[in-house]
Amino acid sequence: MTEVNAIAALEKSPAQSIGARTASNGDQALTTVVLGVIGADCHAVGNKILENVFVQAGFKVVNLGVMVSQDEFIDAAIETGAKAILVSSIYGHGEIDCAGFRDRCIERGLDDILLYAGGNLVIGKQDFADVEAKFKAMGYDRVFPSSVDLALPTQLLRQDLGGAR
Amino acid sequence: MIAVSIDIGSTWTKGARFSVRPDGLGLERRTVVATTTDNLADGFQAVLEQLVDGPDPLEQIRNGQIRLSYSSSAKGGLAVAALGIVPEITLESARIAAYSAGAKVTKVFSYRLTKSDIRALEASQPDILLFAGGTDGGHVDCVLANADALARSSVGCSIVYAGNRALQDDVALRLADKDLIVVDNVLPEMNLPNPDPAREAMRGIFLEKIVKGKGLDTIIARTGVEPMPTPYAVYEFAKHISKTVPGWSDFILLDMGGATTDVYSAHRETPEPGTILRGLPELEVKRTVEGDLGLRVSALSASEAVRDLVADALGRDADRIAAFDDYIQSVARQPDYLPDDAQGQAFDAILAGACVAQACGRHAGRTTDVYTCDGKVRVQTGRDLTKVKRIIGSGGWLSQSAAFNPAPWLGRMGVDARGRAVLLPTDIEYFRDEQYLFPLLANVARIFPDEAASAGIDLLVAQQ
Repeated sequence: MTEVNAIAALEKSPAQSIGARTASNGDQALTTVVLGVIGADCHAVGNKILENVFVQAGFKVVNLGVMVSQDEFIDAAIETGAKAILVSSIYGHGEIDCAGFRDRCIERGLDDILLYAGGNLVIGKQDFADVEAKFKAMGYDRVFPSSVDLALPTQLLRQDLGGAR
Repeated sequence: MIAVSIDIGSTWTKGARFSVRPDGLGLERRTVVATTTDNLADGFQAVLEQLVDGPDPLEQIRNGQIRLSYSSSAKGGLAVAALGIVPEITLESARIAAYSAGAKVTKVFSYRLTKSDIRALEASQPDILLFAGGTDGGHVDCVLANADALARSSVGCSIVYAGNRALQDDVALRLADKDLIVVDNVLPEMNLPNPDPAREAMRGIFLEKIVKGKGLDTIIARTGVEPMPTPYAVYEFAKHISKTVPGWSDFILLDMGGATTDVYSAHRETPEPGTILRGLPELEVKRTVEGDLGLRVSALSASEAVRDLVADALGRDADRIAAFDDYIQSVARQPDYLPDDAQGQAFDAILAGACVAQACGRHAGRTTDVYTCDGKVRVQTGRDLTKVKRIIGSGGWLSQSAAFNPAPWLGRMGVDARGRAVLLPTDIEYFRDEQYLFPLLANVARIFPDEAASAGIDLLVAQQ
């Protein structure tokens, strides 16, 4: 799905309240993912698009919105039994905000949770391969640039969950 | 029509008689007797006889001539232990649900219950364990482990399971030998608190089990009327005032006693543009109970908790602080003590002001400014009470203290230890429940809600 298609999907989707959303009402068998924009980043539009894309792809999305701390992601993942944490960042400070997240997950008992990061993760124009390597070294399972076709993360998430859904 | 209301407290059984007229309630008579702790029915009967004229008060209640309502916080009220997973999420949801049910939260446990947690729970013997954890379809492991640990324990209190709905059957199976009630989750979704089913279950347990053996069952049998936990009634009363009395949609109600300080606030959160809300959504009426802040039974723990506020109020004068400490030691040993000298009265006023400030500070939300690429953003957790102008003081000391003004005390709570602004008002209008009628009117409100809400506000004394 391209970003344009994702926005179209957003416009077609019915109005929903904040909190966990699913494409079908009340289905608790769906895999839960926690989504949010990390750190002091208050960009909300991309976050709403991501929520809709993952909901349309059949996930139960617990969207924490913007300016989310690492512990808030982890707290929500523990309570909701989430299988993945999807961290986004657009303002360039993602590298600082995302550092130590995997370690913190392990310390808090989320040994096996999938960690994805995506967006405009670093300052300046850096080769994405370098950014990806840097974030993978930090313990992230998947790393995406801001230009990614959003169909890809949903496909990879299904694949990484290995038939969990 | 005559309405009679009685509140059975730990120390005093209070009652009032109101005439119910088309234009509202009129206070006709008020009385108080010492609570008869061996059998609550004796004190209750004495109050009833003072408030109901004629030969057979009970018959007048049964035939509907007198409309009776009553509440009880005797023997310290409803003791609830709260269990959740993440302290800021399901444990907090459980605590808020317990407070709104009129309980005091005596123990809290998060994540997985350890052996020492179980021992502490067994030793503390709460009336109810409120067992939360996980959103619906969410966390599994800790919830089942905690159910197993409870099943192996000798915990004998009522257990209300209000956790992950998907585990209701598993929990019921594991706790089949316990006194278990299963209700809907206190937090079915993140951002969707749902305290009411757990609250209702706790009220039901209060009626069915807690009242037995204290004489309340005798009162129910005689009158045909069931009691409420006092703070449950006051919570509902505050909610009704907020909904129906013009100009009172937002207010803070303080109820300070010898053992605890209760803070209720009615407030609908409407964040300003540029404010980011974090944490659990807030209820429109919130009650918190500070078990370490009180003027007598809790005087020692209170003086520790508010040490800095007290020292400031005493001008950091070592001799005066030492005299204050001596006074606290002495009143903690004599919960009935009322000072008749200027120094004792001044020390009580300082302790009261500091307890009010601390309890309101814990009740209120926090905000911190964060500088982002898009400029300054205000990040808020909890409720923003800065624009709530009206504060009511109720309970023994606050009801009687005409000179007390909470404004300077609240003003000293500006910033917390983590540098966050404490969201309390500074520009306030203070009102005093001079005759301590709020618990009594809260009972009447069960039958005549609009009349009681108006009377509650009309009978307040505005601070000059």
